Amino acid sequence: MPIQLQVDQLSWSINNKSILKNISFNVKKGEVIGIIGPNGAGKTSLLHCITNQQHNIRGAVLHGLVYLKNKKIKNYNSKQLAQHFALVAQKAEAIFSLTVIDIVKMGLLPHKGLFALDDDHDREQIKHALVKVGLAHAEKMTYNQLSGGEQQRVLIARALVQQAQILILDEPTNHLDVYYQHQILNLVTQLNITVIMTVHDLNLASQYCQRLLLLNQGQLIADGSPVDVLTESQLSSVFKLPCQVEQRSSKQAPTLHTPRIFFSLPHEQHLKVKVGVQDE
Amino acid sequence: MNKLLVTLIALLLLTFASAIAGLHFGPAGITSNQVVQCLLGHCDNPINQMVIWQVRVPRVLVALVAGMGLSIAGAILQNTTRNPLADPYLFGIVSGAGLGATIATLSFGEHLGIALPLAAFLGASFAITIVLFIAKVLQRMEQLLLAGVAVSFMLGSLTQFILYFGEPFATNRVIFWLMGSLSRVEMSNFYVIASILLVAIITIIALHRHIDALLLGDESAASVGVNVNRLRLLMLGLCAALTATIVAYCGGIGFVGLMIPHIVRQVIGVTTLKLVIGSALIGGSFLIWVDIIARSALANAEIPIGIITSALGSLFFIFIMVRTRNTN
Repeated sequence: MPIQLQVDQLSWSINNKSILKNISFNVKKGEVIGIIGPNGAGKTSLLHCITNQQHNIRGAVLHGLVYLKNKKIKNYNSKQLAQHFALVAQKAEAIFSLTVIDIVKMGLLPHKGLFALDDDHDREQIKHALVKVGLAHAEKMTYNQLSGGEQQRVLIARALVQQAQILILDEPTNHLDVYYQHQILNLVTQLNITVIMTVHDLNLASQYCQRLLLLNQGQLIADGSPVDVLTESQLSSVFKLPCQVEQRSSKQAPTLHTPRIFFSLPHEQHLKVKVGVQDE
Repeated sequence: MNKLLVTLIALLLLTFASAIAGLHFGPAGITSNQVVQCLLGHCDNPINQMVIWQVRVPRVLVALVAGMGLSIAGAILQNTTRNPLADPYLFGIVSGAGLGATIATLSFGEHLGIALPLAAFLGASFAITIVLFIAKVLQRMEQLLLAGVAVSFMLGSLTQFILYFGEPFATNRVIFWLMGSLSRVEMSNFYVIASILLVAIITIIALHRHIDALLLGDESAASVGVNVNRLRLLMLGLCAALTATIVAYCGGIGFVGLMIPHIVRQVIGVTTLKLVIGSALIGGSFLIWVDIIARSALANAEIPIGIITSALGSLFFIFIMVRTRNTN
């Protein structure tokens, strides 16, 4: 698969406080990548830097380069960037009574000229996106009246209309119950486009991501498949909790216990990891 | 025919009817038939011709474009700042215009002429420049509104200080001017306001998708290709120019920019194109009717138009608050 995005020795600081330190990785077309790590590790900051949305912050200094299709990202204007990246934020609150279709229509912006009105092709595209996220019936509903899961699906429909090649999701499962968490992640991983998302829940990250980037205090600690990244030593070190990885049948559904947290790795790895296990 | 189209046609007819009504009402006692005859160029006497073409037509046209402009400025400021209480007057425009008018009135005395609107425009531009400067430094919308209020009070206190030591007749003139009136407007005023309104409407139509994207937040707008800070500054500058021009010719007319977009959102929709078209039609009609009340309510006197819009606006907001509480 061709490389779509290259991050080369990226460092970012705000008012001399280091947020990201010397991060390098490549993203291949069609990969589903999860960025994991504790709070304050720099996950969302990394998303901002790779999509070139970091420059509006006062006192921010960026070193290193990000290449999108072998071209420096800073050489793209905001409209061109929007044609490549679609962002689904943690939570977007609409002011006034915006309808579902009003929001999905926003995805047309990077492809339309200044005075261009919507045409039949646009309307067809919006309809198709709403069908794909299962909200064809809700186009005239008010966004703020929808559930958290439905709102996320509206934002994903907008991203589909945006026709971006890389879908960026910042904590897409925050504020969602277990059912909607799986519904959203199932949806985004079946879109057949490149996906980069920050995920707090290690169970979900292992289950839906082909590749994980583990961040801690702004540094990239590990980059690889869930089996390579989710090791006892790395997780114990990063999350400051004793951790145990066990093999497990792939047929079993992910198990969640409190205070013990288990998660299973996908495919044939049969691993089970317990985070928060007391030393015995 | 869909509901939106029917609503827009109804509003267009309302605006046309309001303009005709505006031409009909007045102390000269001209009948509807005479008004129509004069408009068609067949006036039966020269006095009627003068009243219609030199007094009422300019007045109705200025009321129309001033109402349109103030409503559109309010609508755009509310959408771009994501604040339903944003209003062009919150950015110190009237205080700036008041300061300019005060200085001009005290400097030129009786021979004001074009100096009054010009000074008012310069004062309003000065106020908005300070607010924009603060906005550029702070880069935060919430603080931008607070900066506007602060600038408003600062310039207001400066105006009061100058007026306190000023000549009483000039002071009265400034105070009456700030209350707002369409009694001295001319066709040339209409052309100036209409030109700026046209530029504003074309710019807004061109950028309507960008403004819509802001309704879901800055981060969301940036992700679909909007340069958020640049767009906000452009829209703020545009609304300031529009409001400053209207204030310069018509004085202070409050609450129109705050009230009309709220009505339009209930009737037509919240996205920019619908909001701007609706605000233009309802706002234009509204100010024509307010002007009709201003010149017809009292037998031998005219009520300053700003007093009526502020009274109606405050009642409207109490109504909205009560309705919202009942709904909740």
